[in-house]
Amino acid sequence: MPDEPGRIVVSGLTKVFGTLRAVDDVSFTVEPGSVTGFLGPNGAGKTTTLRMVLGLATPTAGVATIGGLPYAQIPNPGRMVGAVLEATSFHPGRTARNHLRTYCVAAGLPDSRADEVLDQVGLADAARKTVRGFSLGMRQRLALATALLGDPRVLILDEPANGLDPEGIAWLRGFLRHLADSDKRTVLVSSHVLSEVEQTVDRVVILARGRLVRQGRLAELAADQSSAVLVRTPSPDRLVEVLAPLGATVEPGPDGGYRVLGVDPEVVGHEAWKAHVELHELTAVRSDLEQIFLDLTGNGNGNDTAGQVPATATVGGQP
Amino acid sequence: MNTLIRTELRKLFTTKLWWGMLAGSLAFTTLGVVATILGAGNDQSGIPPLSAPSTQRQAFGSSGAALIFILIVGVIGMTTEFRHFTSRPTFLFEPRRGRVVAAKLVTYASLGLVYSVLCAALAVAIILPWLSAKGVDVSLGANGIPRTLITTVISVAIFGVVGVGLGVLVRNQIIAVIGGLAYLFVLEPLIRVIPYVKDAYKFLPGGANAALTQANAQTGQGSTDLLGTWTGGVVLVCWGLLFAILGTALTVRRDIP
Repeated sequence: MPDEPGRIVVSGLTKVFGTLRAVDDVSFTVEPGSVTGFLGPNGAGKTTTLRMVLGLATPTAGVATIGGLPYAQIPNPGRMVGAVLEATSFHPGRTARNHLRTYCVAAGLPDSRADEVLDQVGLADAARKTVRGFSLGMRQRLALATALLGDPRVLILDEPANGLDPEGIAWLRGFLRHLADSDKRTVLVSSHVLSEVEQTVDRVVILARGRLVRQGRLAELAADQSSAVLVRTPSPDRLVEVLAPLGATVEPGPDGGYRVLGVDPEVVGHEAWKAHVELHELTAVRSDLEQIFLDLTGNGNGNDTAGQVPATATVGGQP
Repeated sequence: MNTLIRTELRKLFTTKLWWGMLAGSLAFTTLGVVATILGAGNDQSGIPPLSAPSTQRQAFGSSGAALIFILIVGVIGMTTEFRHFTSRPTFLFEPRRGRVVAAKLVTYASLGLVYSVLCAALAVAIILPWLSAKGVDVSLGANGIPRTLITTVISVAIFGVVGVGLGVLVRNQIIAVIGGLAYLFVLEPLIRVIPYVKDAYKFLPGGANAALTQANAQTGQGSTDLLGTWTGGVVLVCWGLLFAILGTALTVRRDIP
């Protein structure tokens, strides 16, 4: 049922600016009733993707639909989809309340809805102030209020935590969770910092350099990559020979060590002992999510290619 | 469409621009009336005496100054969406971009109508008592004055359309405002006197407006060949719509900033 209300389906989405493939053949699905983190470093193409989903930018190729329809074909989209795109979409001379009331008219909502959402985001006191005097955090809240105005089933939020103080971020987390859990809404929230959304999201869609790197449940992502074993040995080639038949891969790790993936630490120790391979260290590493994220997006240790080194091949080249 | 127009009206009346520009329109109308009456019959001004129908028409036509202001309001009303990125929520709530532009055209034409009716009323309110105090015989129903009042009101309303059209075509607020004014008040007067191109003047926005409002007849600069009154009006509307359609065609294809 690709056209289930509230489901976002992105397929083959591509956006080319001149020679830059800002978004390159990206496909993913966002399920209703879940909070999906849309992650990637700055410049990965997150905002461009979201803008295409929202019909503000035209894809070079591919389509994006919400509830089975491209954005432009959704009847009264303000009641179906709410969006926050960088908190700068305000006329500085308009009050917060009037800003919201303008879109109340546009979406066919009663003016009283403006005060309700102002209350919801904690801006009631600033309702009659012009946006000119708003802090970045207040603008973020007003942007969120605008998104909530039509009580939409789908919320698409681009870096909503930007400019919020820690208290605001904590509030936002709870708020997003509430929207997905109790109201069964679809929430797609982008961030360049995993830790910002780690406690909030069920699923992640990870983008790097315009390409989809990974999508899935956050828990699967963590489980997949947590079984690394860090070893230090003077004879890595021998270790590879011994472990390769067991399906393990060995890749260069930090500080001249090696990371063994795919087998348990006991197996590594046992096989090394049997083959008389000298080991100086044997550690089970549970990589934290942030490290996984950095590895996936190719920004680990500030090294752009860290996640892409072909594992076993390089080992043989080491002295 | 109704909803979109009401949205535009809400946008318009929740910032201060509209009344600042209305105040400017009223001030320029007053200036025009005062200058015409004080200068009438004065050799240096070149304005015929107040009893002359052309002078009376010129005084009543002073409300045409509102076109500058409605042009600016129209341009800003459109470009402000791009400048402050309110284009995002605007096109999120109504993704059919052409309809948003159409709603703005209607809204700003209507606002132009309101501006010019108020300015015309102000002109009448100043001229009638002042001239009767001076003992000049003046009647709203004579000397071509009804036509002047009506065409001036229409001209200002059309400039609301031209302003929005220019704004959607140019998008950059500063360039659109300055470009629009520089074109009307510097470039077109030049085109009008340069051989070979001056024949095109009557088809240009300023020339079409001059035909509509018979501004040349009022100011005695009747040497240039102009279109007929209503033809001029239609040509002026076409300019506004041409800008709007071109701009919309481009906007629909371009990404919203």
